[in-house]
Amino acid sequence: MYELFKNLGAWLVDGDQWAGPDGIGHRLAEHLQYSLLATLIAAVIALPLGLLIGHTGRGAFLAINLSSFGRALPTVGLVVLVFLASGLSMWPVYIALVALAVPSIVTNTYAGMSAVDPEVKDAARGQGMRGHQVLFQVELPLAMPLIMTGLRLALIQVVATATIAAYVSFGGLGRYVFDGLAQRDLVQVLGGAVLVAVVAVVLDLALSALQRALFRHRPAKSA
Amino acid sequence: MTIDWSWISEHTSDLTTLTLSHLQAALSAVVLGLVISLPLAVVAHRVKPLRGFLLGFSNVLFTIPSIAVFVLLLPVSGLTRTTTVIGLTIYTLVVLLRNTVEGLDSVPAKTKEAAKAMGTRPLRTLLTVELPLALPVIMAGVRIATVMAISLVSVATYIGDGGLGQLFTDGFQRNFPTPVIAGVVLTLLLALAADAVLVAVQYVLTPWTRRRRSA
Amino acid sequence: MNRRTVIGGLFAAASVPALAACGGGITSLDGQGSGGGGGGSSKNGVTIGTANFTENQVLGYLYAAALEAAGVKTKVRPNLGTREILIPALEGGDIDLLPEYQGALLHYLDPKSKATEEGEMQNALAVALPKGLQILPYGLAEDSDAFVVTRETARKYKLTSLADLANHNGKLVIGAAPEVKKRQVGAVGLKDVYGVEFKEFKSLDSSGPLVKGALKKGDVDVANLFTTDTDIVDNHWVVLTDPKNLVPGQHVVPLVADRKADSTVRKALARLGNVLTTEQLTELNRQVDKDKKDPQDVADAYARQHGISKG
Repeated sequence: MYELFKNLGAWLVDGDQWAGPDGIGHRLAEHLQYSLLATLIAAVIALPLGLLIGHTGRGAFLAINLSSFGRALPTVGLVVLVFLASGLSMWPVYIALVALAVPSIVTNTYAGMSAVDPEVKDAARGQGMRGHQVLFQVELPLAMPLIMTGLRLALIQVVATATIAAYVSFGGLGRYVFDGLAQRDLVQVLGGAVLVAVVAVVLDLALSALQRALFRHRPAKSA
Repeated sequence: MTIDWSWISEHTSDLTTLTLSHLQAALSAVVLGLVISLPLAVVAHRVKPLRGFLLGFSNVLFTIPSIAVFVLLLPVSGLTRTTTVIGLTIYTLVVLLRNTVEGLDSVPAKTKEAAKAMGTRPLRTLLTVELPLALPVIMAGVRIATVMAISLVSVATYIGDGGLGQLFTDGFQRNFPTPVIAGVVLTLLLALAADAVLVAVQYVLTPWTRRRRSA
Repeated sequence: MNRRTVIGGLFAAASVPALAACGGGITSLDGQGSGGGGGGSSKNGVTIGTANFTENQVLGYLYAAALEAAGVKTKVRPNLGTREILIPALEGGDIDLLPEYQGALLHYLDPKSKATEEGEMQNALAVALPKGLQILPYGLAEDSDAFVVTRETARKYKLTSLADLANHNGKLVIGAAPEVKKRQVGAVGLKDVYGVEFKEFKSLDSSGPLVKGALKKGDVDVANLFTTDTDIVDNHWVVLTDPKNLVPGQHVVPLVADRKADSTVRKALARLGNVLTTEQLTELNRQVDKDKKDPQDVADAYARQHGISKG
């Protein structure tokens, strides 16, 4: 074990390891691209859905079941299925990652919205606010902490799972994991795993800092 | 993409075997995860300084890609079911630990004080008062962990195990969608069935929550 | 009980019951003769591991059919991964027997080996193998590594042999399974023997959908495939010749743990090896890949037809 970590140190600081198309720099950029784009697409789909369900109160049953369903969906199976349908392309990777991220965002957005005290909403309406005003000026700010939690959770899962891109011939940090498996080069596998974990933790910290910077003046909790 | 129904009817016994093997891996991981996370959660709940460390550590474990965990376990436990179960257990820990700690936190201080005043010993309080009251939150964690484990088992196909996941690599290598579709559908059904069973278990285990609700 | 046995005991793998059921285990009443690592016994059953490509699975099930016919209990574990994963598993006891390929195995164990003729390789293998493992006599069937280009690429770059690749150093992309990057019969040997340097090595799979898909799409110029892959002929792909014999002969050869290598196993596998030809093996691969038949069914049917098993 000690040997493995010593070699990992050497692997990580080796200059050659960072350069070229199979270098850490390039793989890191690919991994970030897959993860951020997939999470962004998922957010574009899931945020309006979660807000709508939360605002109208309709479809909550669907949202909860969708999340359970989404968690059960085996990513490897989905990737292979889309691969067989679409051939050698990025579709399998993005579809699987988006499918993974959508449930966390929808359910947390919905949960955040439904946690807003009905009296606060009534008060806003009583002051003559319209539906969309209540949504954007009252409910959304109050639901923001939970919405951000959902986004962060989705991003962490996507970063860890974007490893799968390497299974269908693409890059990202998963390349080190799958190549290391084929070559039984555990240092490479560990290197890939550590880098993925670091990316996930750093992105999570960045989002949480962003959250604090953006919503400093908001009350942390509803009611 | 068409489904070859004759393949499915010819492989019902294989599909059953794989489904059971899949279920066994996932359930073993959840049980093992519970055995590990219950004492850890009690520690995290009682010893505040350790709480952040334990929860943080399990969160970091969660960010490691599962395929890497399976590969890194090869020198320890080889190409065996044990490797699959240990790997999956690591992922169940994050949910089980967090929910168990939250469940214990949710027990009102007054209840614990009452037990203490009645002369109940701490261990007994834990087993007969705190854990039962924390059960709804713990069970919510068990449900999430079970569904997650069921979906993750298939990753172990890269080390020659993986239950229904074997259908994915097989279909991939032969450009054959039928086994892949069968694997995805069976995984979903298995997860739904396991979740339904856990809901029923929780219903039986926590009669007081029903009484309170109907009151 | 240590932790591993506790866990292993509680959650015993599906693989255990099949073997445990046949109990017993008196050592070698039949160990005499045949030489090699004595003391092995197949009485407790043999676990056959196979690599992550179709043909190896077909071979695994053929071995199983041959052994079952000789009264040996078997279990096949398909799709375990690459040689790099399988050989440690063989040493560690997770599997007992593995269908291998002479030259590729030799280069894995001893990248510097110069042996090319079958007999030489067999001797070199016996020396190079880790303790506890042995190879049995090689069979008739052969499956080599081939480096393949499309007809258009062959014409465009005037490629007929591996040596021609060196005229385009730094321009061509090769696609192969990840392990081939570090193998002698792969990127390493192509550079050493032919002086070929690729623009990029793309990690794909073992003569599977990725590498063939990438070759068709033009994502890679050169692909590493197996000579028994019928897609080479079907797509009119060009196999580059190998004037300097980088790719050694690749007869199928059983690699077995000493602990299981008794005369029953030797005889059964030798018999299969002397019957199965390259053409037949290619046809069996085709039935699995194209007709979507189960490797086990294909292997069993072959064994019955050719008198390997009764029935």
